[in-house]
Amino acid sequence: MDVTALQDKKLVPAVSVVSPTRTSRGTVSYGNNNANEQTMGIMPVITQIRNYKIDQGRFLTDQDVTNRANVVVLGYQAVIDLFGTGAQSPVGNYIRISGMKFQVVGTCQKFGGFAGDSYVLMPLTTMQSKITGGDVVQQIGVKAVTPDQVDAAIAQVTAVLRARHVIRTAAGAADDFSITGMRETLNSMQATLAAFSLFMGAVGAISLIVGGIGIMNIMLVSVTERTREIGIRKAIGARRRDILIQFLIEAAALSLTGGLIGLGLAVGVAHAMGQITLGQTQVTPEISYSIVFIALGVSIGTGLLSGTYPAFRAGGLDPIESLRHE
Amino acid sequence: MTMIELTNLTKFYDTGELKVTGLDDISFKCDEGEMVSIMGHSGSGKSTYHLDGVDVASLNDDQLAKIRNAKLGFVFQSYNLLPKISALQNVALPLIYSGENHRQQRSMAALESVGIAVRAKHLPTEMSGGEKQRVAIARALINNPKVILADEPTGNLDTATSRSIMSLFTELHKKGITIVIVTHEEDIASYTQRTIYVRDGKIIEEKKR
Repeated sequence: MDVTALQDKKLVPAVSVVSPTRTSRGTVSYGNNNANEQTMGIMPVITQIRNYKIDQGRFLTDQDVTNRANVVVLGYQAVIDLFGTGAQSPVGNYIRISGMKFQVVGTCQKFGGFAGDSYVLMPLTTMQSKITGGDVVQQIGVKAVTPDQVDAAIAQVTAVLRARHVIRTAAGAADDFSITGMRETLNSMQATLAAFSLFMGAVGAISLIVGGIGIMNIMLVSVTERTREIGIRKAIGARRRDILIQFLIEAAALSLTGGLIGLGLAVGVAHAMGQITLGQTQVTPEISYSIVFIALGVSIGTGLLSGTYPAFRAGGLDPIESLRHE
Repeated sequence: MTMIELTNLTKFYDTGELKVTGLDDISFKCDEGEMVSIMGHSGSGKSTYHLDGVDVASLNDDQLAKIRNAKLGFVFQSYNLLPKISALQNVALPLIYSGENHRQQRSMAALESVGIAVRAKHLPTEMSGGEKQRVAIARALINNPKVILADEPTGNLDTATSRSIMSLFTELHKKGITIVIVTHEEDIASYTQRTIYVRDGKIIEEKKR
C-alpha cells in the first residue's frame, strides 16, 4: 500500500507526517434534518496538517481507527445544518449516513474562509469498510520535516510512488498521480486575490476621481452663488484663510456624508450577500473596522483635495467686487 | 487729529475694454470724531471714496482684513446681512474672525445699544428694512471701530425710518466715533457737520454747518 511505503523513513526521510484521506459527499441526517456534507475518512494524524480545533467532545483517536468505530466529528456548519443553532450539544447523539448510525463524539470550531465548515469526519477505516468499500485513498497529505525540505519531500514521494506504480521513467510515461504543494496552492490563491484586489482598486480609484470632480463642480457653483456672502464676510474682516477653511470644511463635510452613505450601503450589501448561498459556497461577511476608518479617511481626503481649488477661488475674491455681485 | 486722509488719489475701474475714472486726483481729510457726508449723483464716484476711505495702498490682504475687522464698521444700502442666520449670529460674525470670546453677550449688548434686542433670534428675512439696518449697524459697532463708513444707509428706507437711523448715527457720533456717510439726499447730509459735494470724480464744493 502506498501509505505504508510513504511512512517508511528510509524511503522518504524528508517526510514527517503521512495523512491519507478518502472523501465522499452524501446526505447526512439527524431526525428529520437532512444535509449534504462532505464526509471524510481520516487518520488522527491529520491534526498535524490541518488545524482542526475541538469545540466540544473529543477528536477521533487511533483506537477509533483500529476498531473501525461508527463515530464522527462534525464541522461547525454541519452542526448548524443538523442540530440548529443554540440547541443541546450534538455530542453523544446519533446521526445517519448511508443508512448506518454514527455517534457524534466531537464538534469542531469555525474555520471560515475557503476551507469551509460543512464536513463530517470519521475514521478512514470506517469509511473504507462501511461506506466506500475497498482500501483506496484519494489523497495523502504529507508534511515535510522542515519547510525548506518541501522540495526534497516532493521528489522523494514522487520517486516512491513512481516505483510502486511501475511507471517507466525512461519510456516517458506520465504519472498516474499528482502532487500539489500547499505552497503552490497558496501562491496561486494569493495571485488570484491580488489580481482581484488590483481590479477592485482600479474601479475604486476611478470612482474616487469621478466623485472628486463632482464635488469640485458643486463647490465651484457654490462659490459663484455665494459670492455676495463671501463679500460680506470679507467686509467684516474675514481673511483669505478664513474663507478658504470655511469652504474646505464644507467640501470635507460633503464628501464625508457621501462616505457615510456609501458605508451604510456597503454594510447592507455585505449583509445581503451573507444571506445568499451560491452552490456550496456560503460567504460570511465580516466588517473590518480598519477598512471603515480608511474609507472615511479617504472620503474626507477626496473632499479636501477636490475642494482645494474652489476654496482658493473663494478666498481670493475681491471684497468690493463680490459685494457688488448679484 | 486726522482720522482719514486722501492725498492726490486717482482710481480707475478697469472693466477690460473700458477704463472708467472713479476718482480723479482727490485730496480730502477727515478728523477724528467728525461726522461727514459725501454727496453726489449716481456714478459720481462717491461710493469709491467711502470704500477706499483709509489709505491702505501699501497693506496686504490680511492686514486689510484686520483693519476692516477691528477699525472699520461698514453699513450698506442693502444691509448685507447673511440671510440664513439670526440677527444675533450676524452681529457675532466679526467677533468670530477676530477670535474674541463672550460673543453671545457682546452681540446682545450691541443689539440692545441700537434698540433691536427683541429681534435677536429672528432671521433677517423676517425683519423690516429699518430693523435690518439697525442689526447691520450693531454688527458694524461690535468691534468698537474708529470709523463707520455708511454707503447710502437710508437708500432703501422710508422717511420716518431714515430719521430714526440718522438719529442713531448722531448718537454714535456723540460717543466719539468718526462717521462718513455717502448719500444723495440733502436732508440726510444735513445731519452731518460737513458735506463734501462730488461730481465726475472731483470735489466741487465743501460745506460746513
